[in-house]
Amino acid sequence: MKTSDALVLILVLLYINTSTEWPTHTVCKEDNLEIHYKSCDPQQDFAFSIDHCSDITTHTFNIRGAIVLRHSIKELYVKVDLIINGKTVLTYSETLCEPGHSKLIFCGKKKGEHLYYEGPVTLGFKEIPQGDYTISAKLTNEDHVTVACADFTVKNYLDYY
Amino acid sequence: MPGLLKMPRRGVLPLRTLVVLLQLALVPSQLAGCLLNPCLEVIANKTFRCTGLNISGVPAEVPNTTQNLDLSFSNLKSLGSNYFSPVPELQLLDLTRCHLHTIEDNSFKDLPNLSTLILTANSLQYLGTAAFYGLTSLKKLVLVETNLTSLTDLPIGHLHTLQELNLGHNNIASLKLPKYFSNLTSLRHLSFISNKITYISKGDLDALREVNRLNLTLVLSLNNIKYIEPGSFAKIHLGELVLRSSFEDFNGMSTSLQGLTGLHVNRLIVGEFSDSQRRVDFQSGLLSGLCHVQMQEFVLISFREFEDNTDTLFNCIGNISSIRLVDLQLEEVSEVPVLSQVKQLECKKCKFKEVPAVKLSLFKELRVLRITKSKHLNTFQQKFWGLSNLEVIDLSENRLSFTSCCSPKFHACPNLKHLNLSFNSDISVTGDFTNVKNLLYLDLQHTKLFGPGSYPVFLSLQKLIYLDISYTRTHVKSQCTFCGLNSLKVLKMAGNSFENNKLANNFKNLSHLHTLDISSCKLVQVDQSTFDALSELKELNISNNKLLIFDPVVYKPLQALRALDFSNNQLSVLLDSALEMLPDSLVLLDISQNLFECSCVNLNFLKWIKEKQELLQNKELMICHTPAYMKNVNLSSFYLSSCQLKVSTVTSSVIMLLAAAVFLFLIYKYYFQLYYSLVLLSGCKHSAERGDTYDAFVIHSSKDQEWVMRELVEPLEGGTPPFQLCLYYRDFLPGVPIVTNIIQEGFLSSRNVIAVISTDFLESKWCSFEFDIAQSWQLVEGKAGIIMIVLEEVNKALLRQRLGLSRYLRRNTYLEWKNKEISRHIFWRQLTGVLLEGGKP
Repeated sequence: MKTSDALVLILVLLYINTSTEWPTHTVCKEDNLEIHYKSCDPQQDFAFSIDHCSDITTHTFNIRGAIVLRHSIKELYVKVDLIINGKTVLTYSETLCEPGHSKLIFCGKKKGEHLYYEGPVTLGFKEIPQGDYTISAKLTNEDHVTVACADFTVKNYLDYY
Repeated sequence: MPGLLKMPRRGVLPLRTLVVLLQLALVPSQLAGCLLNPCLEVIANKTFRCTGLNISGVPAEVPNTTQNLDLSFSNLKSLGSNYFSPVPELQLLDLTRCHLHTIEDNSFKDLPNLSTLILTANSLQYLGTAAFYGLTSLKKLVLVETNLTSLTDLPIGHLHTLQELNLGHNNIASLKLPKYFSNLTSLRHLSFISNKITYISKGDLDALREVNRLNLTLVLSLNNIKYIEPGSFAKIHLGELVLRSSFEDFNGMSTSLQGLTGLHVNRLIVGEFSDSQRRVDFQSGLLSGLCHVQMQEFVLISFREFEDNTDTLFNCIGNISSIRLVDLQLEEVSEVPVLSQVKQLECKKCKFKEVPAVKLSLFKELRVLRITKSKHLNTFQQKFWGLSNLEVIDLSENRLSFTSCCSPKFHACPNLKHLNLSFNSDISVTGDFTNVKNLLYLDLQHTKLFGPGSYPVFLSLQKLIYLDISYTRTHVKSQCTFCGLNSLKVLKMAGNSFENNKLANNFKNLSHLHTLDISSCKLVQVDQSTFDALSELKELNISNNKLLIFDPVVYKPLQALRALDFSNNQLSVLLDSALEMLPDSLVLLDISQNLFECSCVNLNFLKWIKEKQELLQNKELMICHTPAYMKNVNLSSFYLSSCQLKVSTVTSSVIMLLAAAVFLFLIYKYYFQLYYSLVLLSGCKHSAERGDTYDAFVIHSSKDQEWVMRELVEPLEGGTPPFQLCLYYRDFLPGVPIVTNIIQEGFLSSRNVIAVISTDFLESKWCSFEFDIAQSWQLVEGKAGIIMIVLEEVNKALLRQRLGLSRYLRRNTYLEWKNKEISRHIFWRQLTGVLLEGGKP
């Protein structure tokens, strides 16, 4: 039995390396709001949560995210696409880490280090729109390598005040 | 189904048997691929990346010449002695996240060249005292996230060559540097970022005291320092000390900074991170401890809140030569101490709304002033006054919007040489530069400008060397836009426009210009005299315009040109004259993204492209535009020999045409002959059916008719045997064309042809025609010959002129008619004989 366990482990490990699909995780599941995400980085999955799901109606809300870095992030850029019915409607990008004095704590971390972020996120657009859509986020580093990548599926029917 | 298999956390164990079976069924190819070739050869024989392996030992396929080996994310678990002996040349070894818990003695013994060892994210439980033995060249050791709690037992004392030691993200609680640190004399970077240091006591840094450490950077950011005992840093000389989010709170920070007393440091960085959970707000007296620190440069970074009383900010740092304030929510400049020694002052990402020129003018020694990237900064009302040493002002990347630039803003700043107002909102340039007439460098790019282009605003900047007005929405109307800039060497004005989209005599006084950028200026035309004065120009960028031609006359004055960018215009070809004009000094030429015509008409140009590959830039973007079938074909892959082929086709077609013309001409000339040979040939078929009606067809001139009647018809038709002769005036059918009659009635129906040669015969066209046909008829049908009767009075000279006939007569026997009884008798006998021989029915 132990050999078969080991075999399973080895094969699963191999599959982790070769797989391109990760499981879908649930971030929020409320009456009027559902958010799921799935890593689109073939190398790894990551952990992500939103402190109070209903806060997403505001401009700024708190998130927690953790990932083991596969690449160094001396520079870090984020690009967010809002996709409705398969069409990219909005694109937003920002520099999170730039060379020189790093603004954020995790800037400058190297490959293999553990990255944990807990804090506010300010949206590039005014507010999260209502309806069913996908938000695709991608983090890249100075070598244009994908550091993390996720597709968020959003069903948002919250009322805005 | 694969989706299910890829869930390592859930569903695997309950389904284990199924999973194993499925894996075995589905995975062999991938498995084989993974196991057979786990390493990526990044640089042949030198650099190998073998990540995510479940192995022990160096992978077998890594050769012993390898210098860089990346084994990160592999499952090595432990390293034993001489572990890396298969790769003795190694210079870089990456063992990030290899689940290492044990590193035994002499694990790296065989690596005398190793300069970088990365052990990030391995929870080391056992580290042999001789673990790093043999690393005689090690310069960089990364021990981030390795569960270290203390430096005491770290066996690195013998690594004399070590330059960088990164101990970040561990649980080190004390900064007490063991004695062996005094051996690490090459150390330049020592990082304790994100550890658990709470107290720094006297004596902790003694190991750094003995040697001059002016190259050493000590990073203590992201710790939880509550207290630094005064004297801890006394008499210590450091290159850089970084204290970002190092302290627990305001009190901890304030008192700890007092503990830096006696420190000598080139650069001190104090501050927070913008996403720190606990942040120290700036309050009065925070930096008072710095009064007893000797430093060259002070950086204050990421303070969010500033209490009203920031007036103590410069209290203890007023004598430092360089101050940088980065990412501060600082709305006003604090009070400036009298006799400040600050020479360089930078405020980046601050919260000023207005350029605080009055207060900044109190920094009397100021040489360099930078206020950048401040998105609230939009007003520039105040004036700088009396900064006699000021050389550089950089106000770029703000939101500045102001008028009356620039002289009124800078009173008594006679040494100002460098003014950067780029990437702001809008500035109105008046043309008054009298206070700053010593400017050498003026950068106004990407700021909307009012003034330049309409009238000569730069008149007083006689010394200016560098001017950048790129993308300033300048519309050059005035011919004298750049008047006065007599020393200018660099002019960048991309993304603007010119009157009528035409370059006229705009650069006439810029005779020292070395660099000119007029790309993206919507240019359609360049006047002939535009570049006349620019004989020293070395670089010209005229790309991204709409120029159709490269006129050699226009560019002829640019004899010093080294780089020319003519890309993204609408050139179809560079003419031979243009190619000849290009100066010898040219080393870079970009003519990519033009609308090239790739036809053999431009063969010379295309040949030239092939020859000048070294000169040309962006060759992959040099593609054909026309003709349609060549579209998007690379210019250098144009097949030159296809043109030579075409030349041969052209010549051959010309030859063909000539031949056809000659042929047509011949047809025209010999129309009759050809037509009747045709009839003749078609007639052949009938001749058999038709049968011979006549014994002979007599060809004769109408003037010899009497003779024929008397001497031929009567004796032959009336004699025995009676011969039937065909005579045109008697036997030809009326209503049928003469020629048809000649053929049908004459030749086709007769067995023989009698030609009566006389002077009249020779003169008659019809006769000679009939004779020609008779000859060809004889040839085609192979019938008996033509019976020639030459009348005695024929003029021999005339006969000789009729070449065909005289040749015929020379080669064949003929009858001669003489009006004598005897000869007449012989004549008759011969003629009758011939006629009978020719085939009597």
